[in-house]
Amino acid sequence: MPAAVARALWIARITFLEAIRQRFFAFLFVLGAALVLASGAVRVFDFGHSELKFIADFGFGGLFLFGSILGVVMTAQLFFAEIDNRTALTLLAKPLSRGEFLVGKFLGAWAVLGVFVAVLALLLAAMLGWRAAELAQLAAERRLSPPELDLAGLGLYALLQWLRLGVVVAMVLAVAAAARTFLFAVVVGALAVLAGQLQWLSQELLLKPADAGLARAGLWLLTHLLPNLQQFNLGDALVLAPHQVADGTLPWVFASGLAYVVAFLALATFLFRRREI
Amino acid sequence: MTEGPAIEVRRLTKDFRVGLKGLKLRAVDDLSLTIPRGQVFGLLGPNGCGKSTTLKVVLGLVPATAGEVAILGLPSATAAARARTGFLPEAPYFHKFLSGRELVRYCAHLSGVPAARVEPAVEAAVALVDMTEAAGRLVGTYSKGMLQRIGLAQAIVHDPELVILDEPTAGVDPVGAAAIGRIIEAMRARGKTVVLCSHLLGQVEQVCDRIAIMDKGRLVLEGAVAEVLERRDRHVLTVDALSPAALAAAEAALANHGARLGSVTHPRRSLEELFRELVTGSPDA
Repeated sequence: MPAAVARALWIARITFLEAIRQRFFAFLFVLGAALVLASGAVRVFDFGHSELKFIADFGFGGLFLFGSILGVVMTAQLFFAEIDNRTALTLLAKPLSRGEFLVGKFLGAWAVLGVFVAVLALLLAAMLGWRAAELAQLAAERRLSPPELDLAGLGLYALLQWLRLGVVVAMVLAVAAAARTFLFAVVVGALAVLAGQLQWLSQELLLKPADAGLARAGLWLLTHLLPNLQQFNLGDALVLAPHQVADGTLPWVFASGLAYVVAFLALATFLFRRREI
Repeated sequence: MTEGPAIEVRRLTKDFRVGLKGLKLRAVDDLSLTIPRGQVFGLLGPNGCGKSTTLKVVLGLVPATAGEVAILGLPSATAAARARTGFLPEAPYFHKFLSGRELVRYCAHLSGVPAARVEPAVEAAVALVDMTEAAGRLVGTYSKGMLQRIGLAQAIVHDPELVILDEPTAGVDPVGAAAIGRIIEAMRARGKTVVLCSHLLGQVEQVCDRIAIMDKGRLVLEGAVAEVLERRDRHVLTVDALSPAALAAAEAALANHGARLGSVTHPRRSLEELFRELVTGSPDA
């Protein structure tokens, strides 16, 4: 294994250990899991589809909301803990490049989010599977078609959410690399995530004919520089209405997600390279 | 091995921007300094004189405003230069959830120790700082002295040629400070270069071969300890059982040669020596 990769993996390992000890992680983890489990208490009978969609939306919402909060706050906290507690002073005095340090931080935070997504997705799969089996039995008794549910699609959706959170972590790291305070990094990081979530709006506005101007230039920048985080939300199409995702969509979403991760990490390294520790 | 001194600082200036208006604060002002290999070098000065900033520039943690710095003949701020350097920062803080041994192992991996040699290197470093028994405990439970010693272990685990210690005895009791002094002397005996920033001037005088004193970002004195401390215009005679008659005769003899007896006092031991003697049974412990 190349030395640079080994060093980044050691940073990731310690970052992961530090993150899973945080009460904030435990709090959001329990809250997300509780939200998914609470969806089971819902009883809106429509012989399938509405209730399953309701449960799925609970799970997708929990993954999206708590995953985003965790991605923004935890990443900024893990970065500034190293700077403010001066552990970075010891680490960066070693033959460790700033890029390796940031990649290690990214991998550590992303691994924690991977655990978060995996556990919530497994809970959601259990809830959906259990309820779908009950509803299928009821539908059979009434000679109706069983509800559609693709648990493999849920796995794919979980992977997409993990990738989305990877983009969020890389984006927050780029903000934190230039920020002076934790609070600034969290606020700007959260705004960047919100803007990424609404990026499709700027795409639509840009398509409308309008005079060239500052607003249009701003829209162009938003559209071309910010990732479209909405493109990862293919939950309904992957889980409840299988085979409805257009050919080429998934490879494009995966490729663009990975490209944004690499681009934001490169930006973070550039901004961090001359920062005074 | 590359040639050249351990550290070469040429015309280093470092300015910090402070406040909203970006006022310039000069922390290091046109500093030139050469630290030879194989010696213990003391970098001294009052708080805020630019010592720590100089060390941070040397280690690439802070970019220089002007000037050049080389470590072991290599441009400072390169990973290759840092691979042969160990650093203990002032008031070190480490991840509290790691044990001392895990911390040193982590640093060994980051410092490029080959995987097969990590465990022996960790045990050797931990033993050198006398932390073998406590190495299994969490860092969060360590006293200040233990933190400094485990910090020293993480700095030397990769057997660096140059070790930079910023206030290694801050907050450490005299026995612990003496132990750190012995570790520094052991490193010198193994041919290492040690740069020591400390306010413990007695210890600096004892362990350093050369010193530099900084004030307001500038170098005000640099040289071998023996040379800079020696007052060549004065002499000290140490005499056992000096009677008043012998003292008068000595004074008369000195007067005959045009010299004047300045003072007659009894030599004192230092409080540190007395403390160590009482606590450990030996003034050298």
